Amino acid sequence: MKHAQVKEAAAALFNDQRNPFGAFSLGSETHHAVTIPDAVRRCRWIAVDINASAFGLYFVSPSPERARLVACFDSDYPGTAVATKFISGANGEDMVRHSRISTTPRWWADDGAAGSRQAFQQLAWTEPTAPLAPGTNGIAFPVHADRGQLGLVVFMGSEIALSDETLCEIHARSFALFAAVARIRPGDTGRTRSISKRELECLKLTANGNTSEEIAKLLKLSVHTANQYLTQSTQKLNAVNRNQAVAKALRLGLIE
Amino acid sequence: MSSPAALLQPDASGSRLTSRGDLTSFFMQLAADIGADSYMLVAIVHDQDRNDARIVSSNWIFDAIELIGKRLIANLALGPLTVAPGVRPKPLVAAHAPDAGALLTGEEARLLDVLGHAEIYSLRLNVGRQRVFVLFSAAEAGKIDLAALMKAQIKCCYALSSIPQLIAAASMQDPLSDRERECLFWVSEGKTTDEVAVILGVSSNTVNSYITHAIQKFAASNRAMAIATAIRSGII
Repeated sequence: MKHAQVKEAAAALFNDQRNPFGAFSLGSETHHAVTIPDAVRRCRWIAVDINASAFGLYFVSPSPERARLVACFDSDYPGTAVATKFISGANGEDMVRHSRISTTPRWWADDGAAGSRQAFQQLAWTEPTAPLAPGTNGIAFPVHADRGQLGLVVFMGSEIALSDETLCEIHARSFALFAAVARIRPGDTGRTRSISKRELECLKLTANGNTSEEIAKLLKLSVHTANQYLTQSTQKLNAVNRNQAVAKALRLGLIE
Repeated sequence: MSSPAALLQPDASGSRLTSRGDLTSFFMQLAADIGADSYMLVAIVHDQDRNDARIVSSNWIFDAIELIGKRLIANLALGPLTVAPGVRPKPLVAAHAPDAGALLTGEEARLLDVLGHAEIYSLRLNVGRQRVFVLFSAAEAGKIDLAALMKAQIKCCYALSSIPQLIAAASMQDPLSDRERECLFWVSEGKTTDEVAVILGVSSNTVNSYITHAIQKFAASNRAMAIATAIRSGII
């Protein structure tokens, strides 16, 4: 099907759902609290707009030695697409390293057909990469959320329609989508209990080099209470000691 | 004759910056495209409890930066005004700023207005893990094209991704040796000295000496602070 036909068919199908997740109207998409099915729908709309036939959203694991992408959803939701098995396997490792140092989109064209390759080659600022999934064409957008989570939004298809004009817009929408998803899924930290303001204050002072005694003095607490706050926050962050708690809180963006 | 902006254009493909000059012309051109008069690219450096603004590139007049002060610039960049990519930006209109509250005083707002920054947008840029900020401003409110601004924000991320060394230079330099960085990383993962010694296959004394060196290089008072400094500057 041609791009225009797909768009028309989709518009007819989902017309009433087009708002608020449909057209890109200056960031209006961002502020909606989403569920995963909402996010899938939003992602499908982006895919329709560039004539992509498949898509997926992945998290980049925060630990430096684990260079794998963790799938959040793909176009086969609630199932899992075959492509996702490749992307969250070894094929994604290079993309993980890339997204830690760069925001440049990367594309690949591996299905032999000319369609997408031509569109990709004309894009300024993007770069070619090894296929994330064999036999496919696609483009991967590195995305970042407020609390430092890293992710990847991937679109695949043999006739993807992208131009310099639309590239930034699609990437902006991917950013907004990922930010919304990251808010419902606070990363793979297993953080369940929320950390109190006081506990964060103590952690922050620890990060600034203060000892428990100094913290107690600064916050007008007893040393025992300051230590208790620190122990509690360490437990809540699933850390084994204060050093790790400070590191985790900083990496999660809980303290600056 | 072609315009100065055209002469300053980055290379023909337009998709790679190679020098500071490229960066300046890229931002000048982009500002012009979206209807802004000025731009300022800022990196934030954490120095103990203070946030310090480092201006990477800007076409603000020197006086404006001196008068307004880097503290205020850091506050603008880290304040509620700043939006992530994909979020509709909100302007700071100097004339209405006193209502905006804690961000800046009426006096500072008047100064900005006089200096040609009647309307300011603050945008967060992501270059991999690194974050920088760009302020676009115009001498009169309503001049900047919002839709173009949102696309420009992404383009800024691309442009800066092509010269990561510039952002790294603006943020803190990495003073650590490979071994020191490795030790500090494992300590930040909650490992004790003895555990790190086993992981790296060296003695505990060696590990302690690496960590002590790292603490000294950061002028930190203890391990927790050295870890915090290293994470904040993206070293571990």
